[in-house]
Amino acid sequence: MYMEYTYEQIRATANVLRDQVSGLTDLTKKRAIMNGPELRGLYAQIPLLEASERPQFGQEINQLKNELESTFARIETAQEQASVTPIDITAPYDINVPAEKRPTLLSSANGSRHPLLVERDTILDIFYRMGFTASESREIDDDYHMFEALNFPEGHPARDDYDTFMTEDGYIAPAHTSTMQNRLLKQYAPSLAKGQPIAVVVPDRVFRNEDVDARHEHTFTQLEGIYVDKGVHAGQLMATLKTFLTEYYQKDVEIKTQPFYFPFTEPSFEFALSCPFCDKSGCNVCSYTGWIELLGCGMIHPNVLREAGIDPSVYTGFAWGCGIDRLVMMKYDIEDVRHFQSGKLEFLGQFK
Amino acid sequence: MKISVNTIQKLNKDNGSVADPTIGSLPKLVERIGAQLGGVEEVTPIWAKYNGALIVTVVSCDDHPNADRLHVCMIDDGGVAHGVDRNENGLVQVVCGAPNVKAGVNVVWLPPNVTVPSSYDDDPFVLEARELRGVVSNGMLASPKELAIGDSHEGLLIVDGPVSPGTAFAAHYNLAGDEIIDIENKMFTHRPDCFGWLGVAREIAGIQGQAYKSPDWYRADMAVPSATSHDLPLEVQNEIPELVPRFMAVPMANITIGPSPVWLQTDLARVGVRPINNIVDLTNYYMLLTGQPLHAYDYDKVKALDGADHTTIVVRNPHYDEKLTLLNGKDVTPRKEAIVIATETQAIGLGGVMGGGNTEVDEGTTNIILECASFNMYSIRKTSMSSGVFTDAVTRFNKGQSPLQNAAVLSQIIKDIQAVCGGQVAGEAIDLNHLPVEVQQRGSLYLDVVVSRAFINSRLGLQLTTEDMSRLLTNVEFSVTTDGDNLTVRAPFWRTDIEIAEDVVEEVGRLYGFDKLPLELPQRIITPAPKNSLLETKKTIRHILSSAGAHELLTYSFVHGNLLDTVGHNRDHAYKLSNALSPDLQYYRLSITPSLLEKVNANIRAGYGEFALFEFGKAHIKGERSLDEPAVPGEKHRLAFVYAADTKNWATEQGAVYYQANEYLMRLVDTLGLSRGKLRLVPLHGSFDAANAAVDAWVAPYARQRSALVMYTLDGAPNGSDTLIGVIGEYKPSVVKALKLPQATAGFELDTLLLQLAARQNVAGRYTQLPKYPSLSQDISLKVSREVTYQQVYDCIWQALQAAELAGMLPRLTPLDIYQRQDDAEHKQITLRLTVASYEKTLVDAEVARLLDTAAAAAADQFDAERL
Repeated sequence: MYMEYTYEQIRATANVLRDQVSGLTDLTKKRAIMNGPELRGLYAQIPLLEASERPQFGQEINQLKNELESTFARIETAQEQASVTPIDITAPYDINVPAEKRPTLLSSANGSRHPLLVERDTILDIFYRMGFTASESREIDDDYHMFEALNFPEGHPARDDYDTFMTEDGYIAPAHTSTMQNRLLKQYAPSLAKGQPIAVVVPDRVFRNEDVDARHEHTFTQLEGIYVDKGVHAGQLMATLKTFLTEYYQKDVEIKTQPFYFPFTEPSFEFALSCPFCDKSGCNVCSYTGWIELLGCGMIHPNVLREAGIDPSVYTGFAWGCGIDRLVMMKYDIEDVRHFQSGKLEFLGQFK
Repeated sequence: MKISVNTIQKLNKDNGSVADPTIGSLPKLVERIGAQLGGVEEVTPIWAKYNGALIVTVVSCDDHPNADRLHVCMIDDGGVAHGVDRNENGLVQVVCGAPNVKAGVNVVWLPPNVTVPSSYDDDPFVLEARELRGVVSNGMLASPKELAIGDSHEGLLIVDGPVSPGTAFAAHYNLAGDEIIDIENKMFTHRPDCFGWLGVAREIAGIQGQAYKSPDWYRADMAVPSATSHDLPLEVQNEIPELVPRFMAVPMANITIGPSPVWLQTDLARVGVRPINNIVDLTNYYMLLTGQPLHAYDYDKVKALDGADHTTIVVRNPHYDEKLTLLNGKDVTPRKEAIVIATETQAIGLGGVMGGGNTEVDEGTTNIILECASFNMYSIRKTSMSSGVFTDAVTRFNKGQSPLQNAAVLSQIIKDIQAVCGGQVAGEAIDLNHLPVEVQQRGSLYLDVVVSRAFINSRLGLQLTTEDMSRLLTNVEFSVTTDGDNLTVRAPFWRTDIEIAEDVVEEVGRLYGFDKLPLELPQRIITPAPKNSLLETKKTIRHILSSAGAHELLTYSFVHGNLLDTVGHNRDHAYKLSNALSPDLQYYRLSITPSLLEKVNANIRAGYGEFALFEFGKAHIKGERSLDEPAVPGEKHRLAFVYAADTKNWATEQGAVYYQANEYLMRLVDTLGLSRGKLRLVPLHGSFDAANAAVDAWVAPYARQRSALVMYTLDGAPNGSDTLIGVIGEYKPSVVKALKLPQATAGFELDTLLLQLAARQNVAGRYTQLPKYPSLSQDISLKVSREVTYQQVYDCIWQALQAAELAGMLPRLTPLDIYQRQDDAEHKQITLRLTVASYEKTLVDAEVARLLDTAAAAAADQFDAERL
């Protein structure tokens, strides 16, 4: 089942490599062979060939690589068969296992739920009660949804504020849950005509190309909110967020806004609440300022509504994006944001 | 953006504006800026640095008797300082080593008990009267560096202009009581005008409800001062008007380069800009004042580059592989779409970013070319990023400075250059203006915006009158005409952000104060908001697995390529980040399981001998498109689970750890309401041929001999075929070894969406009504070949029972034992217990025995099973 190769160089290399591989019983040399001088030598020859020859030659190198891969796959299977005895995977337990040694679930006392996701569910529950539905976001998206549909044209300086991860294929690891905004506006636009507002929150993971330390993570959780209807105004945005926070903290909080700039909202705000832990008297959590800067928000830009097929002269709306990690860190006094994704049971086990 | 309250107050006064930023208290001002303009990062009381510093006249300056380079000076402070020793004429003795000290000059004296300004922030140094080589020095005379207004430590700061001895330094230079307010730049992304003091001053007036008035020179239709000679001929060619909508340049002759006057130095230094020389300082000053960056080239150097009898500047894209050394010494090869300022032969600047070193203005410069241009903001941003050069000019140009202010700025700086550096305009001013004629005529970048009172009020929740709105806007120099309920708004020429009605809404709301908007919740209808079913399913699973003792964890969505290799994933199938933070986070995941496996060893080492982990995540396979949105990659929702136990916690007699994972899978299946009857485990080895990259990656980490595909019969599947919903098993020896897993490690990875679908389909049929009559139990033991699976035996018995007279009965068949005699490795014995009750009558043993006989016969028939 060896492949046939047209080119003498490839045939020669194939023979050398087949010799190297034959008789191997494990994969310890796999990487060295697959990245070795023989294959690299073949690649190095490509530029020396006539342009017309290159595709065929390249193809045959790939065939050789595939041949080696499948040889290694066979070696692995053989290795596995030698060391792993097969079992009856349909049985409830293994042969001859005494009744008291059969599989049992661990004690429920051991289990834990991730604090970020529990908090996300708690927050979601409040928004459900306030009449919002929910959607998840994406982990890989295109420039259109991440930027363009949100009124960030190509080259817009506001893009600099989002240190996005890009894939080699030009996709983006979304830096905000707003990457769902255009989709959700489109999805729910028909309900507007029926007199129902668009009210949806998007809790999910987002990514920023940012150096990690105790306060900064490249991966974190955001909750986006979108509300569109006739006659929606900025005062309603503030009231909605204040109401949520009052319910979340189970106490009255004060709010403060600062004008801000986001391309996809106008006007835009940075939104702060009075520190619920010290009631503005100053504490560690609020860095003794009495205020906690919590989120960015604003009235959805007419271009964003229009892009989703909603007439901005008839409907207006607001949107916000809030980090969940910080809420959880403040709630439990968690000292290092990196714990969340550490997979450490010392950390997770505390959240029964 | 740093602004000085004193500078703004003085500018307002000079401009004849009634606005005064100090009308309320400083905290109030800062609060209003925060609420209505943008976040305040810091407020610095810069005045405090200069407490006690006095301007004095050096009356005499004699050599120090015991030191070569020191002088003993007698200074006149007008008798202002207290508690210092004076001579009979009231003069104070100070020892000074500066080379430029001499009798007659006015300098700055820091008396005893005064803190040296440059040391104020970090390590305050308080002066005293002390002997220097035997001569008492009362405090010191200060250099620009000691006064924190420059780097120069070579000599004293010489105070220029008439001033009476004893005048406080702070008072003379408008530093008394001055506070520096640093406002976040981010807020001004769409407000290029606020990158200038005039812009911020205007906004501060607006939010304080005061009418602002720009300086006359800024608003008037300024003509550049005409040439007094034509000694410096200049031509400009703009080859890229689409990137350079306006380019102005003017040559000036007979400039004297030198240090700036102290007022200019202090105005720059207080906001953190280092004075360099008078020309550079003035261009910086006008940039800080108006937001419009300017650049000065040495005319003679420009001319010499071409060696021609004419001087030409060409605005163009770079030539192939063209290189340029910038003012800061950095060599760049501008990207091919960059804007380059050049002579006919050589580049002399990276337009809008930084000038070239070859035409730098230095002490020898006498003739200059002043450039005041407008550049495409996107182009500047890209060039800056690609060449890694970030300057104050870039910060301003990449926000899109208005091309309507160039003439005013250029005209005014020429006047100041003439006043400060001498010289005159020595050639025709050039203005290559590519703006549409109607924009030039209108004097505003966009068409007038017509907006109704109702439009504005409905978006803000306010009840303002047109007069209220008009006043808020005209305070910051908009032109507003009202017609009934409509406002026609024309933005002043420096505003680049007022294009549509919503822009006017923002402006009115901000100037009114967003913090004063009425808080009212939207009215809601009573229709219940639908919950997200996938999130709800995940929440349920979260509860099921955590109640079963498992820990939910989160790991990164990106992994190291080595991890992919280790578990047998193909890197080529994974999306790769082009700008990963580190190799640890380079690839999107092809499945979630490897990330969990990676967390096992560390937790074992941390002393956890037995645990279970699970995570919800998404797998991405290159080339697979989203079904409902083909433009973007598909995302596979997955639930991964791993159980691990070290040798202390997993005894050999417990058998294969596979069954432990299976126990969790069955708990999930039962609690989610899936039907075990529709679930089928298919061995991974033999029967399975990796169908595609996704399935290949899904099963890759699992040991073929001890793993299974999880198949499920979903309603509506074609031909009642089974759907692959997951994989369960132990891991390959190579994976176990590489990730240092304990031998007892097993788990599964399921498709969360399919799990949810299956759970939803099986709501009906979960419950069977209970018979009234008592149940009976009997066991059946069968000896079968070891090749026969448990499932085959179970199904055979079950089907035989169903085929027999089971109508009207409720049967339950459960495993009791699976046994293999040590002396017979070819067979195994499976014992099942049948528990059965009838809905109609009380069963007797014989009836149950008959059922089992039938079943045993079927098994004998099918597998040669021997009943024991």
